[in-house]
Amino acid sequence: MAREIYAYRCRRCDTMHYPFRMVCSGCKQNDFFEFDTVPLPKNGKLLTFTKVYNLPAQYEVATLGLGIVELDNGMRMLGQIEIDDPKIGMPVKGSVEVVRKEPYDDYYGMVFRAA
Amino acid sequence: MRDVYVAGIGITTFTRLEYPLSEIASYASMMALKDAGVTEVDQVYVANMGAARVNHQTALASAVVDSLSLTPAGAAAIENGPASGGSAIKAGFQAVASGMDDVVLVAGAERMREVNNLEATDFVATLTHPIAEYIYGVTLPAHAAMFTRLYMDKYGVTERHLAMVGVKNQNAALNNVWAHLQQEITLEGILDSPEAMTNNPYVAEPLRFFDACPVSDGGAALVLVSEEKAKELGRPLIRITGVGQATDTHAVHERSEPTDLMAVRKAAGDAFAMAGLTPQDVDVAELHDAFTILEIAESEEVGFFPKGEGHIALEKGETALGGKIPINVGGGLKGRGHPVGATGIAQAWEIVTQLRGDGGARQVQDAKIGFTCNFGGFGNNVVCLTFERED
Ligand SMILES: [Zn+2]
Repeated sequence: MAREIYAYRCRRCDTMHYPFRMVCSGCKQNDFFEFDTVPLPKNGKLLTFTKVYNLPAQYEVATLGLGIVELDNGMRMLGQIEIDDPKIGMPVKGSVEVVRKEPYDDYYGMVFRAA
Repeated sequence: MRDVYVAGIGITTFTRLEYPLSEIASYASMMALKDAGVTEVDQVYVANMGAARVNHQTALASAVVDSLSLTPAGAAAIENGPASGGSAIKAGFQAVASGMDDVVLVAGAERMREVNNLEATDFVATLTHPIAEYIYGVTLPAHAAMFTRLYMDKYGVTERHLAMVGVKNQNAALNNVWAHLQQEITLEGILDSPEAMTNNPYVAEPLRFFDACPVSDGGAALVLVSEEKAKELGRPLIRITGVGQATDTHAVHERSEPTDLMAVRKAAGDAFAMAGLTPQDVDVAELHDAFTILEIAESEEVGFFPKGEGHIALEKGETALGGKIPINVGGGLKGRGHPVGATGIAQAWEIVTQLRGDGGARQVQDAKIGFTCNFGGFGNNVVCLTFERED
């Protein structure tokens, strides 16, 4: 089964959040974890991007592509990008993969490629 | 609320320093105490971001207050990312303004060169959102790069504009003996010549090496006092007249307009409102140019220029020494260096130096009103201050 990244929908006012926040930014009235989890869409368009050359200590690659994507439901997220010639506004498709490896942990996040 | 004055200032050279972190903080503090002419204080605030993580030291303020023989004064460290310095000044301001304290030492220090550049980059990146940003390998240069890309697309800012900020600020540092970078650069060398890509490679496209501030060690300090104490000490009367602080979403992608720096606009607006000033009243400004794009964007958000026109003012020389609103005449973060916890206080140090008329070759003529913008996170925690000289 494909992995997902989840948004959080307030059960009182339907405001969607990603990432999680304790208090809903829409109504500010929710009780503890009064949210439904909803998988984030994987398709969207690239809003901005960069290619990073000096990476933090844990990365053993020469460069890393990063971008902010506006997803099909209008929400946004940051992810890694694997796109040869990225352009602002281009359609992209995400998949949930390992984005950071540490000695005892793999961290999963969204990796976007050209759609 | 009582008026609050800066009676003393101190700074260390910003560079790689082979001293313990607490000594860096204490040295700048000693300079500030001597400048003010005080040997006793009511309270000490020490701004710092990395002591625990980078230098394996906690409770820094307790070390500093003792080293300076200021015990039993109150003491506390303030960690607020790159806005730690501005936040410590605000805390000191509140302590004096409230009437609780008459003399407050506000110091800031960082010793980032104790670790290598990759570890330093990772340490600063820990201020990003842990789940939605940090795990992806996002760094502050990466955030600044994505922001720059949008600014270029929307407002026509080019790599040349960025390089112009870098040249202006790094060369301004040649007039500041405390500044980290003491090497003249030219547009030819970092942008136009065949060697430019070697001299000035990309660190995070479209940002290049000379678009980013260096990783520095250093400290800076101020002595804040009440009006009565300021008049007793007899130093030039420099008053902090406006204080503004504002926050924004932790994850950058959640902001409705990604080219806006809402917290900068709000913090500056609040500081100007408190002081009864407008941005056009400012004679000299220190903006937080950790990356060249930030000087351009902040110069708009604080109200010096309309949104999208900061790079045009830069082209016209309006932000250089002798221009309409000289920005970062002591080198800024780009030229002076950016020991993270010290930066907000070093900005105030430069403004007080200017308002005292002690700027030497970088003095802004008849500077009476100064402004600082200390930018934390990627714009999610910002402190702005106004300073005025009273004759
Ligand atoms: Zn709600």
